[in-house]
Amino acid sequence: MDKIKLRQICFLFAAMMPITKTIVYPATLAYTARNDLLWSALVNFLLEGAVIAAVLFLAKRTNCTFFELLQNTFGKVAARILYGLFGLFFALSALLPLMEQKNFVTVELYENVPPVISFAPFFALCFFACTKGFKSIGRVADIALPVFVFCFAAILLLALPQADFAALLPIGASGAKGIFGGALQGLNWYTDCLYPLFFLGHFEYEKGAAGKVLGSYAAGSAAVLVFLAVFYGTYSDIAILQYNTLAQISKYATAGTSLGRVDLLFVFSLVLVLIFYCCVPVQMCVHCISKAIGCPPVWPAAVVNLLLLAFTIFFNYSFAELQTVFTQKLWFVFALFAYVLPVCSLLLRRTANSPQKEKSRE
Amino acid sequence: MEKTKKRSPQPFAGEIEKDIAAVKEFLPADDILVYRFETEDKKACAAVYADGITDKELLGQLVAKPLSLSPAPKTAQDARQLLYFPETKPAKDVQTACDEILAGNPLLLIDGIAEGTTLGTKKVSLRAIMEPQTSITVKGPREGFIEDVKTNMGLIRRRLKTPALRFETMEVGRASKTAVVVAYLEGIAQKEVVREIKDRIGAIDIDGVPDSSYIGKFLAKKSYSLFKQAGTTEKPDILCAKMLEGRVAVLSDGSPIALTLPYILAEDFQSSQDYFVSPYRATISRILRTLAVIVSLFLPAYYVAAELFRLQLLPFGLLMTISGGVQDLPLSPSLELFFLLIVLEILIEASVRMPKYVALALSVIGALVLGDTAVKAGVVSSPAIIIVALSGISAYTVPDLTGTLSVIRLAYVVVAGSIGTYGILLFTALLAYYLVSSDSYGAPLLAPFSPLIRRDLRDSIWKADIYSLDTRPAVLRVKNKTRLKVRNKEKNG
Repeated sequence: MDKIKLRQICFLFAAMMPITKTIVYPATLAYTARNDLLWSALVNFLLEGAVIAAVLFLAKRTNCTFFELLQNTFGKVAARILYGLFGLFFALSALLPLMEQKNFVTVELYENVPPVISFAPFFALCFFACTKGFKSIGRVADIALPVFVFCFAAILLLALPQADFAALLPIGASGAKGIFGGALQGLNWYTDCLYPLFFLGHFEYEKGAAGKVLGSYAAGSAAVLVFLAVFYGTYSDIAILQYNTLAQISKYATAGTSLGRVDLLFVFSLVLVLIFYCCVPVQMCVHCISKAIGCPPVWPAAVVNLLLLAFTIFFNYSFAELQTVFTQKLWFVFALFAYVLPVCSLLLRRTANSPQKEKSRE
Repeated sequence: MEKTKKRSPQPFAGEIEKDIAAVKEFLPADDILVYRFETEDKKACAAVYADGITDKELLGQLVAKPLSLSPAPKTAQDARQLLYFPETKPAKDVQTACDEILAGNPLLLIDGIAEGTTLGTKKVSLRAIMEPQTSITVKGPREGFIEDVKTNMGLIRRRLKTPALRFETMEVGRASKTAVVVAYLEGIAQKEVVREIKDRIGAIDIDGVPDSSYIGKFLAKKSYSLFKQAGTTEKPDILCAKMLEGRVAVLSDGSPIALTLPYILAEDFQSSQDYFVSPYRATISRILRTLAVIVSLFLPAYYVAAELFRLQLLPFGLLMTISGGVQDLPLSPSLELFFLLIVLEILIEASVRMPKYVALALSVIGALVLGDTAVKAGVVSSPAIIIVALSGISAYTVPDLTGTLSVIRLAYVVVAGSIGTYGILLFTALLAYYLVSSDSYGAPLLAPFSPLIRRDLRDSIWKADIYSLDTRPAVLRVKNKTRLKVRNKEKNG
């Protein structure tokens, strides 16, 4: 079976989860919640953390995969249909981070905006990753942790002297509407809580697993919150104009020095983590679709990546519109799939052991 | 064991001329010679041997002399008792005898006895045991393997005087009949790994095995892999250390290079000297090697990407210097770097193969004509030459990876020239996915970093002191984990 280790799930949350929230999310949040952006993000983190806790509670009580749980409750056909729907959701949730990554790359890594086809090799890489299963997700998380910790800390340390944290005061200035509005519009950046549900049965639940996973999630959340605080402290009222925050946050510390934009080396390293993380929802999508159809992952991986490439080209100049649709119109889809359904999975019928594992034991 | 000719065994006739003729029919080559002599009572005897690989002096002194001074023996068993030589074997049929002759062991025939005797007087000209050119150390043992597998086995046995040391010899190659030895420590090496290695070697059906690297290709699970699939060493001390960790060694007759399995990438960043110097020095050396590999891989590519796509990355002063250097160059940065890297590869290839007496002339041509003159002529820029030289030198800090690094470096320059920094990052991610999904006999190639094995990190980039290395590497999943039994640090310290 395609295994992932508990430690690797922890690293996924501690080192890879924060990175997608450092591109467009801070500016979006600053637009809605202004100086209360930390509280909006905190609401999202608490909500997502609660869902992760629920999934871990389920993991403690069963060693079945999510597919087996669905199959036990609704039968094989319904399980496949539901997996197909989750597959589509993962594709949907992958689209905005992909577009974000594309825009970040084209703006920050080039002097002149390159043709959209420059981004196409990403999908070849993603196709390769999709054929490698959960094991590759876990193992790249092992690689991502030291890269993230070192580079993220370096960028924050570079940016810290420029930050005026008084900009975050007074607390609650944007009111409940601003805080919860920001939380609602940020939902599409908070689909990570769904991953543990699909890792069910693929990792061994050990004593203290919930504490470890939630602890690492808290560490990742704290990293994002510190980043948001430094970001708003640096840019204050003009924070809403700072798209591609990751590359902007430390530029004043280095631009005028004799070393040049040395912070870009850390940013580039973090883009590597971003690349790894952008592959995850696509890998999950391929996993779901190959399970739903009952075929090896190669063909779904090819089709899904080609479709995502086509969407990326199609929406090349429509990121703002796409973002508006995702954050303002489709928030309920994200709420349903990422929050409601994982919690509902607690109601699924469980057997003591996975039927497959029982069979292999015999 | 494959016999010389696959037909039913032909017994000896007991008539010396007929038996010699039968052997010569199987082995008609000119180097198969017959040495005829007589016993004291004038009975004809003969030794059939392969010239050049048989010790003729031993044959005369220990075989012909005692027989010529004694009356003719009645049986082959009696004859063997007369000899002053311990390594004798009965040969019942002509085919078996021929196999032994080809291996350098002469066949003794006595008229009237329908059984031959093979004599272990094999002698091959060997070079002396010396320090291998590929792994020279300042401190530590200087012995290296040679081309004779028996000598190499002796070098290992000298270091591991334990009954747990096992040598299992197999014969590979229809024509070469090369002895391939699987060496391991019983109770430490994983049985499954030993079995799989033996199965794979047993399944090899090839005409000849000139070197152990041929065996390495068959032991690899991905024969098209960009990265090595087996560790290699020319030094018995390194091999013994690896066997003590739980690895299995494969030695091949005719090759001074031993293979070790399972293999992980971190092995190549270690040097035997790391274990003879202080852990601080060893750690610094390993960090330097890692940085050198990063420089070797990324520097040319980043230079191209920075020049083509992202000039902001370079400090202003450096940017001005480079701008001055690259002004009016006919080649684009990527072509310039690619061209220089190819020149570097050609120089390396030529310096390895060229006769030593032209080395100086070629070095002058390489350094002055190609380097200095090319810059003066405005074909390439000085920064590019500095970068390629630094990259080339850095790759040699990890000699076992040089070949792989040079291929990847060229690929990096191509992607950097095509789509810049993003290409470099994507290619890095691709390598990461490739490496994390590769393993060697159950050991992940990127261990102990991915999957993270905390215990093994003590001997990765960081080299802990000897007391901390009390267990065998967890990545090898050996059952006998303990290396250092008593932690008497205080007592010793």
